[in-house]
Amino acid sequence: MTATTATGITRPVNWNKLEDSMDLDVWNRLTSNFWLPEKVPMSNDIPSWATLTPAEQNLTRHVFTGLTMLDTIQGTVGAISLIPDALTAHEEAVYTNISFMESVHAKSYSSIFSTLCSTDEIEEAFRWAEENPYLQKKAEIILGYYRGDDPLKRKVASTLLESFLFYSGFYLPMYWSSRAKLTNTGDLIRLIIRDEAIHGYYIGYKFQKQMEMETQERRDELKAYTYDLLLELYENEIKYTADLYDPLGLTEDVKHFLHYNANKALMNLGFDPLFPKEVSEVSPAILSALSPNADENHDFFSGSGSSYVIGKHEATEDDDWDF
Amino acid sequence: MEKPRGNYSYHELNAMLNLYDANGKIQFDKDKEAAREYFLEHVNMSTVFFHSLKERLDYLVEHEYYEPGFLETYSFEFIEELTKLAYSYKFRFESFLGAYKFYTSYALKTFDGARYLERFEDRVVMVALTLAEGVEETARMLVDEMITGRFQPATPTFLNCGKAQRGEFVSCFLLRTEDNMESIARAINSSLQLSKRGGGVALSLTNIRESGAPIKKIEGQSSGVIPVMKMLEDAFSYANQLGARQGAGAVYLNVHHPDIMKFLDTKRENADEKIRIKTLSLGVVVPDVTLELAKNNEDMYLFSPYDVEKVYGVPFSDISVTEKYQEMVDDARIKKTKIKARQLFETIAELQFESGYPYIVYEDTVNRENPIEGRINMSNLCSEILQVNTPTTYNADLSYDKVGKDISCNLGSLNIAMAMDSPDFGRTIEASIRALTAVSDLSDIDSVTSIKYGNEQSHAIGLGQMNLHGYLARERVHYGSEEGIDFTNIYFYTVLFHALKASNKIAIERGKTFGGFEKSKYATGEFFDKYVSQEWKPKTAKVAELFAKAGISVPDQTDWTQLKNSIMAHGIYNQNLQAVPPTGSISYINNSTSSIHPVASKIEIRKEGKLGRVYYPAPFLTNDNLEYYDDAYEIGPEKIIETYAAATQHVDQGLSLTLFFKDTATTRDVNKAQIQAWRAGIKTIYYVRIRQMALEGTEVGECVSCML
Repeated sequence: MTATTATGITRPVNWNKLEDSMDLDVWNRLTSNFWLPEKVPMSNDIPSWATLTPAEQNLTRHVFTGLTMLDTIQGTVGAISLIPDALTAHEEAVYTNISFMESVHAKSYSSIFSTLCSTDEIEEAFRWAEENPYLQKKAEIILGYYRGDDPLKRKVASTLLESFLFYSGFYLPMYWSSRAKLTNTGDLIRLIIRDEAIHGYYIGYKFQKQMEMETQERRDELKAYTYDLLLELYENEIKYTADLYDPLGLTEDVKHFLHYNANKALMNLGFDPLFPKEVSEVSPAILSALSPNADENHDFFSGSGSSYVIGKHEATEDDDWDF
Repeated sequence: MEKPRGNYSYHELNAMLNLYDANGKIQFDKDKEAAREYFLEHVNMSTVFFHSLKERLDYLVEHEYYEPGFLETYSFEFIEELTKLAYSYKFRFESFLGAYKFYTSYALKTFDGARYLERFEDRVVMVALTLAEGVEETARMLVDEMITGRFQPATPTFLNCGKAQRGEFVSCFLLRTEDNMESIARAINSSLQLSKRGGGVALSLTNIRESGAPIKKIEGQSSGVIPVMKMLEDAFSYANQLGARQGAGAVYLNVHHPDIMKFLDTKRENADEKIRIKTLSLGVVVPDVTLELAKNNEDMYLFSPYDVEKVYGVPFSDISVTEKYQEMVDDARIKKTKIKARQLFETIAELQFESGYPYIVYEDTVNRENPIEGRINMSNLCSEILQVNTPTTYNADLSYDKVGKDISCNLGSLNIAMAMDSPDFGRTIEASIRALTAVSDLSDIDSVTSIKYGNEQSHAIGLGQMNLHGYLARERVHYGSEEGIDFTNIYFYTVLFHALKASNKIAIERGKTFGGFEKSKYATGEFFDKYVSQEWKPKTAKVAELFAKAGISVPDQTDWTQLKNSIMAHGIYNQNLQAVPPTGSISYINNSTSSIHPVASKIEIRKEGKLGRVYYPAPFLTNDNLEYYDDAYEIGPEKIIETYAAATQHVDQGLSLTLFFKDTATTRDVNKAQIQAWRAGIKTIYYVRIRQMALEGTEVGECVSCML
């Protein structure tokens, strides 16, 4: 449903009349989670960055370039392409928020780059992104579905992007963070993960809502399609992962992580997990580092953390001042 | 990176603490295993081996790892005996984080940082030798108090004692800033010097004229406090303590300063880069009149510090806004602007949601409770130091005209559970007071004259407390319950008695009191009124039993009368005695819950620059006593405020009080807690923390810290 309905009447969005209360929940959560990369004191990571080997630095740059690419797609094409399929006006509003935050994410990677790397290094990394066959293939597959004409398939592609494809990249900052390296970058990525977790969950939820209105035949088709697409992406993702992580010997660990997140993406879409438990057990340090809860303890000696939110304003009343 | 010996490395074993086992139980054994693996995989492999203590000490002195001076005040035989004594306790770290934190942040390392030159026992011995100042009996006593975990010096002291390449032993500095360029430039210089030496620095900006104020009578010239904050922020990020930890600073501003709203806006999420303050901590000084104005929903006037100083002849921070409010409002010579008082409190609460700041100092409460002559107008980086200060003035060539008193404070904390287990509670406190006094004796900050002068005059120390929640839970008392509050009251009451007694004893031994004792409420005896005129004893049977079981006698009125007489006759050595800091790092090594707060989580996620993400189990927590470990968010601000109020009445300085809210709270809830705290006699509020749980459906499965 768009602002203009089939009857040609344009309706203003009325947040006082909700068709799906999830829209408001998610909207509130997203807005109170609003943040900008300037909040994180990235420059505190410079000494830590200097302790990484050239190979490790190179890997880190490439991983972040890959993530920038995905967020660019999601911010400028992905979330926007979902708007025309929205079931409610509120859902549209949520997509605009998602789309904006994706652009914030893309910009965050740039602020990581500009803090830690020289211009030459940054340019090398972006050239690498243009030339890396697996990264390009990944973009091509997803963009293909965003431009396709099936709204539900678009949602599947989007959920797989949010809940699965990002994570081959997220692994590395979590790995560093669990080893006390680049901890402010880790904070920033955790803020991104906090957002992506909600995005993937919400888009998956909306997919499930729409599925309820479809015929059994169509549902079966979409299910088969989801698994096919996941496997297509997975095959490419494995190559991409090996290409990135082989030099550091982390590929096997990352694969487990990918399996774990692929299962999570399927869960978000309401489907059964694909990978058995034994190949999707993530290293506990990474798993614990991922927790999107804002409950870590920190003080002025640690970074700003990922725990603060925009507050809900409520004026005090005379009774509150009764003394 | 070391190779794990088994399936999991210590890092992963520690992370399992945050994941439930198949039966839904917390895996405490994994953390113990992590600590063990940490030693086997890492510490033991990376520790330099010496054949004998002699060889070790000679090597460390010769290679300039240890300071030779203080070692020479003891015989080698004694150092050997003391080391044997330390090792005889068979000390073991109770958690992985304790061990990890000690070795990464405190233990002496080779200059290339690759190998360890100390174990925990060696560090304790070095601290004891330094602080005993050559007295063998004191050194033995300090080893006993520290290795049993009863007394734990603050990070700068515990980290630096004995090392040849080191920072200062003092934790915390407070500087005034006056309304002139000499003072501002000196403040920045001093901040650099002090952060280089290892402390947190707080500055009061209340006296600096507001933006748009005249300079040399020309209107609209001054840039106000924000550019000063920017310079300070850069200064702090430049200086760090030999890389051991980052410089950290705080700035305080009276809420009646005209720049107050700009000051707060620097912490906005969407603040412009030019004015945004990222790492500097903010605090506001709130007089009673502001709360009165808010109560009546009136406007509050903001006063130009430039005009106030011209009219009254003293800096803005040295007058009581509450007392002079109406007078200043009526005085046409003082330029003023106005804002809505309630709007101010709402903005403060909004900012606390977004950033945790500002801290709050309830100025009039603080000054009413202050036993020392003079005025308190600011606090420090952790909002527990509350001492009087006086301004410094400068000559035209930037030399000192009149050196004022600025504040330094060295801290150390008792582990309440271990102190209650002490065979001699009074001795434990006396040893702690002596250790802290030694730090004050040994401190000599030449680079900041006003700090040096202040320390020489006041010998102020801050004995803190930690592990309240751990102790209560161990004894099966709920935090914030009637018994919990009763215990807090009687415990702090008893600590105060012994702390004053120890400081009195030192004054008698040395024949010397702090400067200005004769003008204090200790000298007049007024301080003791509330202790000699009424009886203080446990109200609940449980608390009476806890003290009886521990063999600790609660001082009665006769004890107080005796102490009062002795103090009025001989004085006390330390101008200030107690301050309860938030205890971050040291509570992990010491296996304590932080300060007197409730735990932030049963399994706490700790992130620090040097550590990465590490998981810490609450002390004494098992799968059988989980019910006593409600976390701070579940317990809520009211009970925390009641607990702190019970302690505050026996503490001469302040206590770092953090308010914890669930994310369902609004700015109004935060305001209500601030009002409750003020009414309960709380002196300062430290951070406000909001816990946001993951949206249902997006959380990581089986995570202990995700459990509501």
